[in-house]
This record gives sequence, structure tokens and C-alpha cells, in this order.
Amino acid sequence: MQIIQSLLLSFGFGLITASVLAIAAVGLTLQFGVTNYINFAYGDLLTFGVYIALVINQRLGLSIWVGLVIAIIATAILAWLINIFLLRPFVARNSPPIIMLVVTLGISLILQNAILGIFSEQFQSYAVNTGTTLHLGPFLFTPLQLVIFALALITMLGIHILLRYTRLGKAMRAVSDSPELARISGINTRFIVNVVWLLAGGLAGLSGVVLALNVSSFTPTLGFGFLFVIFAAVILGGIGRPYGAMIGALVVGVATEMSATFISSEYKDAIALVILILALLLRPQGIFTSRGRA
Amino acid sequence: MPTIVFYILTLATFAAIYGVLALGLNVQWGYAGILNFMYIAFVAVGGYVTSLLMLPPAQPALLGESYVLGLNWPFIPALIVGGLAAALLAFIVGLLSLKRLRSDYFAIVTVAVALVLWTIAGNDTALVNGWDGISAIPQPFFNALNLDYNSYGFFFLGLCIVILIIVYIFSERLYRSPFGRALRTVREDELVAQGLGKNVFSLRLKAFVIGAFIAGIGGALLVMSVGAFNPSAWTTGETFFIWAALLLGGSANNRGALLGALLVPVLFSEATRFLPSVSSSPQLIDALRYIAIGILIILTVAFRPQGLLAERRFKVRRSKLLAPELAAAGGGTGIHVEDEVIAAEHSNLVSPDSSAGEDREEEASDGR
Amino acid sequence: MAGETPIRATKLSAADQSAALRSGMDTLLEVRNLVRTFGALRAVDDCSFTVARGSITGLIGPNGAGKSTAANVITGFLETTTGQILFDGYNIANQAPHRIALRGLTRTFQITRELERMTVTENLLAAPHHQLGESFWLGLLPLPAVRRQEDENLQHALKLLRDFDLYALRDEYAGNLSGGQRRLLELARVVMTRPKLLLLDEPFAGINPVLATRLGDYIEALCREQGITFLIIEHNLALVERHCQAVIVMALGKTIAEGTMSELRENPAVVDAYLGEG
Repeated sequence: MQIIQSLLLSFGFGLITASVLAIAAVGLTLQFGVTNYINFAYGDLLTFGVYIALVINQRLGLSIWVGLVIAIIATAILAWLINIFLLRPFVARNSPPIIMLVVTLGISLILQNAILGIFSEQFQSYAVNTGTTLHLGPFLFTPLQLVIFALALITMLGIHILLRYTRLGKAMRAVSDSPELARISGINTRFIVNVVWLLAGGLAGLSGVVLALNVSSFTPTLGFGFLFVIFAAVILGGIGRPYGAMIGALVVGVATEMSATFISSEYKDAIALVILILALLLRPQGIFTSRGRA
Repeated sequence: MPTIVFYILTLATFAAIYGVLALGLNVQWGYAGILNFMYIAFVAVGGYVTSLLMLPPAQPALLGESYVLGLNWPFIPALIVGGLAAALLAFIVGLLSLKRLRSDYFAIVTVAVALVLWTIAGNDTALVNGWDGISAIPQPFFNALNLDYNSYGFFFLGLCIVILIIVYIFSERLYRSPFGRALRTVREDELVAQGLGKNVFSLRLKAFVIGAFIAGIGGALLVMSVGAFNPSAWTTGETFFIWAALLLGGSANNRGALLGALLVPVLFSEATRFLPSVSSSPQLIDALRYIAIGILIILTVAFRPQGLLAERRFKVRRSKLLAPELAAAGGGTGIHVEDEVIAAEHSNLVSPDSSAGEDREEEASDGR
Repeated sequence: MAGETPIRATKLSAADQSAALRSGMDTLLEVRNLVRTFGALRAVDDCSFTVARGSITGLIGPNGAGKSTAANVITGFLETTTGQILFDGYNIANQAPHRIALRGLTRTFQITRELERMTVTENLLAAPHHQLGESFWLGLLPLPAVRRQEDENLQHALKLLRDFDLYALRDEYAGNLSGGQRRLLELARVVMTRPKLLLLDEPFAGINPVLATRLGDYIEALCREQGITFLIIEHNLALVERHCQAVIVMALGKTIAEGTMSELRENPAVVDAYLGEG
């Protein structure tokens, strides 16, 4: 009985983690699908959003929700600028994916350490009221966590609408499937790439802030540490597949939380890493697809 | 000993050890083109295993620390086994991953593996004493030599230099051998290599394992130079340090690797020491170093991807050239190919420039 | 042996060669009912043909006929969906590409792939099979046998470079060569492997007529003097007619005809599918 209790509880936590993860994973998978190279700096974009919101929240004394909105916008713009000034020049030279990875690695180092230099390694928190814990059946949630969950659902819905029903979304899917074909069909791939970076950046900012809200205190390595959990979700769901990423996020989020019932919680992150390794070794194209790019 | 001498001694030792590390990474990256972000894990394994073999058995009750092994071994065997342990790790990881994954995915797997190992090392206190790490590590030949602390420092430097020279000679031989050439063929174009009958997977795996062995050796020296070791010393960031050193100094050029090992870790770490402490945070200095590394990586890849000392060009030795009569007989067809049909597409990545690269003479086999 | 005498071009008429071959046909490569699908697309759809030992055989067909896919499957870079590939008596279907190469089936690529950051000479030195020094231990130790083999390979390489008129470029980085020089280099490189069968993927594409003629002469000389069998995928029908004794025509993933060019011109199916258009 205890075990079941505990498992259900952790399942609940897993849903919240999955919510945060889903937002980030969708952003990364969309970008990956369109550009076809791995972005090592994605986690640090999350961190950037986190600290923008922190500044808004602490230094300017505004509500964290204001901070959230500004973080989304700021991170979107940063991602877009990074693409134009740092990444596009290399893409123009036909640099192989391995070189692009190296460049994003450099960007990650710079971004992460710039934040570290400014804010140092101390733990920070937002000034926000988590509210009193609610009992919802077997689950235990704070109102804040429910808000996070709701935000994730809204975001997923928004992405769904974007991809399914808008011209832009369809163009993005086209470019993700086959850039050459998309170009020939008259789609302005350069524009799409820019849009994807804005979108991925915005999602990164959003997921960063909700991640920070969920863990309540954080340091500048927050995003980078989370990056591999995001990779796990993305690979599991299949690169370039936003719906897959959502499922992947669910699986990884729940699995990591529920594993805490059986093993020491310090190894929670390691579980995500193990999932990532296994996914890459056994099924790099994701569990849903037959298309493989590994 | 005057402080300045001690300072230079420490610097030189550090440079020599980093040189070994850079040479090992060169085999993986420079020769075979493998992008591996878990290199520091190999260094750590070598460091841990060598130390654990040399340490006396753990006494958790007495000293509050616990670790495995603790066999009081002498230095040389412990060093070799440390290298082999790192090689074994590489073998396992490579065996499972090198065949299936394209290079950027492989890089991700390596980081993940390194992070998992790091987490385990930190949390499983019985293994290597967790986050606190191991300390009071015996120094090579310390008891046998009975030197005072200062003189021992010189001895240890000498030891590191000797090992560096051995590793350098080994790496150079490897590079010039047909094996080295086969690795480079794989690096340049995997499909062509397969088409020429090379077993790409096997070659890559070998390069990976050899590089890891050297990393293990370097790791052992690194740990001994400090006398203590814990997980904070081998975060992923450290791999990037070594990696940036190699990239800047010159991939596939062992002298370049040594140059990079001198410039990046040593100069960086030490030069910034003299910067006036900006505000009150020591982290700022550290952060600045990594920012500089990041900028360095991007600039190098953008403007000089081959590094400062480019890969040396293979020139056919005079003595091996065809006799003039044979050479002049010329294909009988005398084609002079001057069309410039397709040249355009080959301008991107590396422009092997004849001016900057050092030349090296062909030697039919070993260094003659 | 190789390259002692410069390669010269002399010709038998195609008809003579073809007749000589067919009477004592010794099959080096036989493709049987090869199928290769990509999802719903049947790129190679029950394709069968044979290549006679000692011949220069052409493989022609319109774009999308499946020639390159078939080439990739034959050389092991793609797996078969079904079908057999018999090379010198062995079924090589689905073997690893490097193993197939070691059996004597070597190929070139449509876009030349030179080892850019290695010199012209190194490109050739990388090629030979069974180099003792390519094993880690043997390469490390200063063994006389390794040294000797290296010397031999080097001499062979230099003479080959001379024959292909690339000798002056021996120390140049392959990445700095012009388009035509790269073609020659790639051919020289595969010749170094002493192959039984050379599969050339559009070797004449995009090069000027003078070079094309010389390249063709080289191929014929290599066939005649070293007994190398050639299977050439090519679009330039004039060149195919000039150099190939036997020609295979593919369309829509299938073989639709085999024979000499003159025979094929008479074949209504071929004319329909391919020759009629150009």
C-alpha cells in the first residue's frame, strides 16, 4: 500500500516535471528538425530566461508572471540573434553537423559563464507564493504546480494549432521533413529558420522559468544540467517530431520521478541520462518513427 | 626555495601533464576525427585507479573515508593499470556506440556517460569516497628516494617530462605508420575508407582506446601532482579545456598539441591569476576563463580550424623519388589537365595551405 | 608489372571484343533479382544482369532508373531488400562494404571524394589492401617487412602517378587539385587496390572532351594490360559506345536489355525507354 501510495505521488510529480520538460523538448525538437544540428547551448538559453525573470522579479520587484513574459521575449530575441550572427555564417559554409555542435558548445560556454560571472554560484529563488498544498485524490500539488501544468497544456495546444492549422506551421513541417523539397516548393527556408529560432528561444525562456519555479532554488548551471534530460525526451520521441517530444517528455518526466521510489534521489538525473544513452544506442530514430537520421 | 622557482616548477609540471593529455586527445580527434566529450572521464579513471592501487587500504572507521582497492602498489604497475582501466572504459563505450552513431550523436552519448560516471562517483561514497574524494595520495618513488619536499618537486617534473617524451615518440610513430594513415583516411572520408577496404569501426575503436590509455596515464600524473582528487576536478568543463587547447594548438599535429597544452591551460590559468580581482568574486575569474575558451573555440573554428600549427604535409623523400628517366617517360599521354571544372565546392572546411603547414619528409617506415 | 610501360591506347573494334567475350563468357559479377525499396519506392525492382570478366561493361539508363542505387547495393553501401549478388563465385549481398572491397570490388563515387587534407601520394598510399603496417602493433614496431611493403607501395604509387600524369602534383594536397585532376586521382587510387572489378560511377561527368578521351584510353589500357574488369555507369552514350563491349540498360529499377550498343539501338524497348529521347 505504501509503495502504491508513493508511486502515485511520484507519478504526480512526474507529470509536473514532464510539463516543464515538454515545453523545452518541443522547442529543441522543432529547432533540431529544421536545422539538422544539435544545439548544445539550448540549456543555457533556458538559464538565460530564468535569470532575466529573476532580474525582473528581484531587482525590479515585479511579479514573476511579468518576468515570465519578458523572459520569453528576451530569450526568443537572443536565440534569433545567435542564429544570425554566430550560426548562420557556419551554415553558409556548409559546415558539417559536428562543427555546428562545436560552435554551439562555444556559445554554451560563453552564455553559461557570463551568467555565472554576473550572478555567481549562489542559489537564487523567485519571490512567489507557491500556495498551500492541495490534495487531489492520491496526488499532492501546490497551486503553483497546477499553474505550471496548465501552462504546459496551453503551450502544447498552441503548438498543435500552429503546426496543424497555420501556413507557417505547415511550412515548418515541410522544411523539417525535407529542406530541398520545401525550397523548391517556394518556401522561404531562411525565414522559416529564423522563425524556428524565435520560437525555440521563446519556449526555452518559458520552460526555464517554470523549471526554476518547480525546483524553487537554482544556480546558473540549471539549464545545462537539464539539457540532457531534454535530449532524452527529444531522442525518445524522435527528432523533429513535436508530438513525439511531448510523449518523450511524459515518459522521461514520470520515469525519473517514479524511480526515486526505488533508488536514492540523487540518481534521479542519472536515470534521464541512462534513458538518453539507451535511446541513442537502441533506437536513435525515436520510438515512434521509421525515419532515422542517426 | 624561492617562490618564483616553485611557481615555475608547478607551471612546468602542469604543462607537461597537460601535454600528455593533449597528445592522447589528438589520437582520438586529430588522427581519427572522433569527437568525444568524455575525455576527462578517462583522465579521471586513470587518476582514480592509479591512486587507489597505490593507497593503503581504506580505514573508514578511523579516517572517515572509504574507497575500493587500496593495495599499496608501487608506481609503475599502478600507472599501467590505470591507463588500462581508462582504455577498458573506452573499449566498452566505443564498442557499443561507435558503430551505430553519427559523430554528433556519439558526442552526446559520451557526455551522458561522463555525467553518469560523475554522479556515481560523487554519490556512491564507498567507491571513491564520494564528493570529498581521495587524498594523501602517495607520490611516485617518494619513499624510495627520500628527498626533501622541494627536491622531490624537481624529480616529479623530470618524471613527467620523461613520460611526456615517451608518449610523444609513441604518438609520432603511430602517426607516421600505415596505421596512422588509415586513421586519417577514416577521418577524411569514411565512405572512401570503406571502399578501400578499411574496417572503419575497428580503426575508430582502436584510436578511441589508445587515446583513452594515454588519458589515463596523464590522469594518474595529474592526480599525483596535486595529491588529492575529487569529482569537482573532473567536470565536463575540463574536457572542453583540453579540447580547446588541442583545437587551437593544432589538430593532428603533436607539436601543435603541445603548444596548445602550453597556451591554453597554463597561460590561461596562470595569466588570469595576475588579474586584479574584479569585484569580490573569485568565480568571476573562473567564469572569464571559460568565456574566453568559448570565444577561442568559435574563433578558431571560424578562422583557423586547423589550429596554429597545421597538420604537417607529407613530402616524398628525395631518395625515394623516381629516377629522372623514369619520371620523364611521363604517361606517354602527356595530359596537362588545366580545366577548372569543379573546384568550387571544396573551399569550405579546411584549406590545407602550403604556406603555413610544416612539411615533413616521408619515411618509408620508422624514423630514419 | 604495373606502370613499367606507359599506358598506350590501341583499339579493337567493339564488335570484335564483344564476340570474343561472349564466346568464352566468364562471369565475374552476377546480379540476380535484386530488389531495393525505400518505403513504398522500389528503386531497384527485380534487376538482373551479368558482367563478364575482362570486359568493359556499361550501365546506362534514364535518371531514376536505379543505377546508382544498384551500384550502392552491389558495393555494400546499402543493404538489399531481396536478391543475390555473386562476385567471383561468392554471394556478397549485404556484406560490409570494406569486406566487399577486400574481395576485389572497388568503386568510385559520382562526386569525386578525395582525401582532401592528405597529399596526392598519401591518397594512393592509403589504398592498397592488406598493408601489414595498418595493424596497430605491426605499424608501431620498426619491422623490416613493413618497411619493405611501404617502399614497394610507394614505388607503385609514384609510377602510377607518372602514368596518370599527376607526378608533379605528388606532394600537393588533394584538396587543392582541379576537377579533372581529382578524377584522375580517384581512378589512380582505386587502381592501386589491384581490383578485379572497378565500378565507376559517372566517371566522365562534367569533364572536357580531351580529358574524357584520355580517361577512356586509360580505362581501356588498364583493362587490357592489367585485366581489370570495368562496370561503368554513364550517361554519355557516345563514350559508352566507344569503350564498352557490353552494355546493360536499366529503367524504372529493372534491367530492360543487355548487349552491344548496336544491338540495343535495334531494341524497341530500349529505344522507347531511353535512346529515343536522346
